[in-house]
Amino acid sequence: MQILPFYAVCDESSSMTLHIDTLNKALFELHQEISTNPTVADKTRFGLIGFSTDAHELQPLVDLSDLEELPALEASGLTSYGRAFDLLRRAIERDVTELKAEGHDVYRPVVFFLSDGEPTDNDWEQPYQDLLAAAFRPHIIAFGITEGADRTVIAQVATFKAFMQEDGNADVAPALREFAASLTRSIVRSVSGATAAGTGMSLQVDDQVPGFTAVSLDKL
Amino acid sequence: MTADIAAIAGALAGGTDLGLALLPAGPEAGRGGQGLVRRLDGVPGVLFKRYLEPGRVRGPALAELVALRLALPPDDRDRLDAQAAWPLCRVVDGPHCVGFLMREAPAPMTWRTASGGSRLTEAQYLLYPEKPATQGVVRPDPEQRLALVLELLGLIDRLHRLGLVIGDLSHANVLWSVRPAPAVHLLDCDGIRRVGAAPVLEQADTPNWSDPLSPHGSASSVDSDRYKAALLVGRILAQDPYLVPGAPFEPLPGVLTERQLGLARRVWEQAGGPYGTRPDPTAWLPALGTRGSIPLAPAVAPVPRPSRPVDARLFDGRAPRGSIRLRRPD
Repeated sequence: MQILPFYAVCDESSSMTLHIDTLNKALFELHQEISTNPTVADKTRFGLIGFSTDAHELQPLVDLSDLEELPALEASGLTSYGRAFDLLRRAIERDVTELKAEGHDVYRPVVFFLSDGEPTDNDWEQPYQDLLAAAFRPHIIAFGITEGADRTVIAQVATFKAFMQEDGNADVAPALREFAASLTRSIVRSVSGATAAGTGMSLQVDDQVPGFTAVSLDKL
Repeated sequence: MTADIAAIAGALAGGTDLGLALLPAGPEAGRGGQGLVRRLDGVPGVLFKRYLEPGRVRGPALAELVALRLALPPDDRDRLDAQAAWPLCRVVDGPHCVGFLMREAPAPMTWRTASGGSRLTEAQYLLYPEKPATQGVVRPDPEQRLALVLELLGLIDRLHRLGLVIGDLSHANVLWSVRPAPAVHLLDCDGIRRVGAAPVLEQADTPNWSDPLSPHGSASSVDSDRYKAALLVGRILAQDPYLVPGAPFEPLPGVLTERQLGLARRVWEQAGGPYGTRPDPTAWLPALGTRGSIPLAPAVAPVPRPSRPVDARLFDGRAPRGSIRLRRPD
């Protein structure tokens, strides 16, 4: 069977304290949408990683329709991008290997990365490069929220698309809901959208996300 | 506003084109690859599908669908309305056809999620076992599962007899319900077209529902419909979303009798054959139909006759032997 793995990698540093409940509710909505659509749930897997001073695999890759609860994000600590990318690389390597061993055709994983701040670790780029150099390197869609996020860094993290909250001083709640909604749409459309040959899947991510500005990925 | 509602009611009844400006606002009800579907405030039970790319719409093809429905005898039209979200009238913006109005799916074809949301009861729920998140779907018992398949085959057969090709048939555009009785409802009916004609918009098949002999949706034909109808039959009866002809057909326990299964397997295998050989919807009926069978008396061993002594005198002696004349008499 064909499987498309999705990972949500979410900043849960202390600066997210005021917004973390909104993000958790948005993930609840994501689960509702996907788990009640058996065709989509069957062809996708979802993993959740939270990162702050350290990174935690809150929900190992799973068929969302099998879940009855999802570990919540909790805000505290610093913003270690390096820990997040390192954990993500190891998780992807393990998950793709397992899915292949089960006989599945595995599509390149898709990562939705969300951060409200600049990385507090100076050596995050090495784990990031390791992630991109891995055999199962993922497509990364990066979202920056609040005025704490650095547009350049968000664009640097993304490999597929990047979005910055339009008004960094505006209410974060709608932006977080749109982050999860965009992730949900991407999962549903990538599985449900017809490809030219009527088979297979193609990654379909929003070109525009309400409340966000698309960031050019051209890198210097 | 009242005048607009009256104009809408008139267009719905008569199939006449309706100006986009007359449509009231309304909340979004769904979104697909080709269009947005929304409700109309003050017009309950009616949905407006607005195409995302009206420049690509073949307006006459849509007008033909509207006219075809209106030309049906009243009983047939009522039946079609109950079983299909058929285009009732076109919506135009100046010279351009931008969408159409259709009826909302019947209420029994929806279900409530645990968090209170409403979902359409798509055929996909017949293809997967129940999971915690889908416990709100009222599932069919084996008899109802078979009845749903027969309802669906009947609908496809009637559309084919009208000279139509459905095109995209899949887990996503067939709705069903077992309350109050097994029933089906077809969505995305603007993809239906006359045999040999182009559809309103170029069609793509739903992934995993393509005919291998016609992988591109726009090349759909009665033959590709027959293949997809067989996929629905096989996948629903077996509760297997990936089953295709060529793979063993193993229905859920209790759905078919042994006699039915033997016949159904033959039809199932034929469905993957070349064009012209695929079973039409009625070909499934001998296997799946409710036609009863005649219970035959079980075969029993013959009662042995009592043996009697043989009177050897009956066989004794020989009658005088004659001869076969091989030459014609002179």
